[in-house]
Amino acid sequence: MADKELKALHQGLINTVNKGDYASASKGLSSLKIALLQRNALIPSATTLPTTLLLARDILEIGALTSIHQTDDAAFSRYYSQLQPFYEDPRLSTPKTASVNRSKITGLHLLLLLSRNDIADFHTTLENLEAPEDDPFIKHPIMLERWLMEGSYDKVWNATKSSQVPSEEYAHFSQVLVGTIRNEIASCWEKAYASLPISNAKNLIFLDSEGAVIQFAKDKGWEVKDGRIYFPVEEAEKEALASGTIIENSIGYAHELETIV
Amino acid sequence: MVDKSSLRSNKRSDSGSSGNKKSGDSSKQSAKSSTKKTATSKKAGSSSSSKEEAPPVENGAEDIEMKDDAEVTTPTAGKKTEKSEKPGDEDVDMNDGKEEGDKKEEDPVVVAINEIKENFTLLERAVTLFDARFTLRVLRSLSSLRRRLNPEILSKIVAETYPGDHPSFRRLTVAIGSSASGMELDSPSEGSKDGGSLLPEIDVYLHLLVQIYLLDQKNLGTGTSFSTELVQIIHSLNRRTLDSLAAKVYFYYSRVHELLPPPAITEIRPQLLASLRTATLRKDIDTQATLITLLLRNYLQTSHITQADHLVSKTVFPESAANNLIARYQYYLGRIRAIQLDYTAAHNELVGAIRKAPQTAAAAGFVQAANKLNIIVELLMGDIPERSIFREPRLEKSLHAYFLLVQAVRIGELDSFFDTLNTHAETFKKDGTYSLILRLRQNVIKTGIRMMSLSYSKISLRDICVRLRLDSEESAEYIVAKAIRDGVIEATLNHEKGYMQSKELLDVYATQEPQEAFHERIMFCMSLHNDSVKAMRFPMNQHRLELKNAQEARERERELAKEIQDGDIDDDDAGGEFEGM
Repeated sequence: MADKELKALHQGLINTVNKGDYASASKGLSSLKIALLQRNALIPSATTLPTTLLLARDILEIGALTSIHQTDDAAFSRYYSQLQPFYEDPRLSTPKTASVNRSKITGLHLLLLLSRNDIADFHTTLENLEAPEDDPFIKHPIMLERWLMEGSYDKVWNATKSSQVPSEEYAHFSQVLVGTIRNEIASCWEKAYASLPISNAKNLIFLDSEGAVIQFAKDKGWEVKDGRIYFPVEEAEKEALASGTIIENSIGYAHELETIV
Repeated sequence: MVDKSSLRSNKRSDSGSSGNKKSGDSSKQSAKSSTKKTATSKKAGSSSSSKEEAPPVENGAEDIEMKDDAEVTTPTAGKKTEKSEKPGDEDVDMNDGKEEGDKKEEDPVVVAINEIKENFTLLERAVTLFDARFTLRVLRSLSSLRRRLNPEILSKIVAETYPGDHPSFRRLTVAIGSSASGMELDSPSEGSKDGGSLLPEIDVYLHLLVQIYLLDQKNLGTGTSFSTELVQIIHSLNRRTLDSLAAKVYFYYSRVHELLPPPAITEIRPQLLASLRTATLRKDIDTQATLITLLLRNYLQTSHITQADHLVSKTVFPESAANNLIARYQYYLGRIRAIQLDYTAAHNELVGAIRKAPQTAAAAGFVQAANKLNIIVELLMGDIPERSIFREPRLEKSLHAYFLLVQAVRIGELDSFFDTLNTHAETFKKDGTYSLILRLRQNVIKTGIRMMSLSYSKISLRDICVRLRLDSEESAEYIVAKAIRDGVIEATLNHEKGYMQSKELLDVYATQEPQEAFHERIMFCMSLHNDSVKAMRFPMNQHRLELKNAQEARERERELAKEIQDGDIDDDDAGGEFEGM
């Protein structure tokens, strides 16, 4: 396959994506990836021409965005990993060649990690970035994480509304995030409140109707009575004297002392 | 420190005796255990290195240099402030030294050459006796030699050691020559040793000297190619007596590449990994430990945390490695764990690193860096670091920004927290703690809530919102609810009336907690005892002698008992005998 053909395919891919036809785009992507593999451009190596690599990077970026539209998280993670060597190649990060989509894709990756509650990886990725707060695409997941961690769930809720997200791809994660915060709030409620009126609960948990709240409460196994939700009172577990551990420890000490004396 | 540096000018004028003094010192120390020795050797290395950096006067360069030399002192920034006062007198001192050196042209050169030759004998002995202690002694003298090295000494010693046709001769002379162009090189003298009897240890040692010299001269270009070549030679050699020398060579190899612009640092990874593989196969502990720390440092510098983590999980750090290397390893590990939010593990590693770090002034940079990170980790864990840390003279200055930060967190005021963060952002960024500190925001809020829950039995959400300067009452409610769930406070919320009611405080002494705390301390003491027993060095075959003594004593006792039984002996006598035992 000549370079021309590759370029033609690439152009075709861009057209399909612009039309929003992601199903056929992903088909086009697989043939393109084979083509890239044949010219040894799927992984940047010193021998491949920078122009080809730029093309390859662009194709992979389109692939990553396409997989987000198809809500295929696994595929997105794969594309993200494949893109990393491209982003780190010094030839491809000069001002002229640097990718415009890089921060967008990194931001999406962060959001994906956040929605999976993989905070350790989230911070590890963050550590790689320079001046992360300056970029709207990356600032978004950072702020979300901060709010989630401190518990400002209302701010998370506002941020997931479609008008607040920096690009349309980000909206795909909103559903997951709202589910996450609902579960978080629910677990907080169990500990923090004795009971809560349904009407207030509706607003607090961002549900549309009281019926939805009742359903939610039932799923959680809470008691609903007289228009209030009663949370199961946790029986303060009487801490039994852990005789087992005490004995175990004492024998351990005795044993160690014996070796000293 | 000051004493030493003022002494140095004396030393220089009277360098003959200084050489002797040095060797006397080292032989005294050599009686100590070998593990201890590695530590001291490095300590010695680093303590002198802090003084030797004077000639390149520009501050930035010096700062970078320091990191390299002080072995343990790794990524530090606070050091700059620490050191900035000292170099003043050192600069002068150093220049004096130089002038004197010029006047007495011959003296220092001859002394240095003699010292290097002494080291040759030590190396030879190390090889014949197969005892690493001699090599370590040679390496310890490295730092004192280092600041005296010049092309003249090097070319002379090279010419005297190698026969003209030896491949190393060409390589070394080219390397020395390129950094001192115009310098006349002696032709190899007649009657020098023939190549066959030249030990690879000596060969590598000379290479190491040249390598360090090139680094000190900031001759990075030659230094890089020379180091790369040298590493390849070492990689091909398989001699156990070479191990500690090889570790040094790798250290400077990595150092040179670190100073070069970015891609260089990633390019040496394959070589380091390959060498690590070889070192592991050969059970070459020195090199193994050095390479692991170098690789970790390498990864962390480019913030490849995941790769660093993979390396840690795939390798076993040799337990019997030198103390300083363990300290570095623990520091890096602590850093990785802190980034991964595993604060407890990070804290353990960092405390270990701080405890293991040498207590000399030269390692101050490392101790500072480790303490900085540790303070942040403690804060993230919800603890407040002890006040005494900030009072320690060698830490006080560099930890000032962190002190303010801790105060802000302790009070739980977001405003002063962000004030501190913004005013000292540059410091934090340089220390690589900025992103960790950003995570502290939630801790500040939590502390604030805790303070309030402790002070008031009942407080309205509005008041909480005002005091913590949160954006809205709703946010406050969510945040308090989360704090309750996370166990930060013991309280309940009332949504309709909008207040938080604290539960009564539990008596800690009625729970298991004191016992657990004691258990932890006992375990620590036990393992400390066990470790110190393990670390002791016993002379060979000493126990046989003791056994023999015990045997004799027992025999005497038996005889005595027999005599008493027979009634042949006076009571007084017997008493005396027993007392003797």
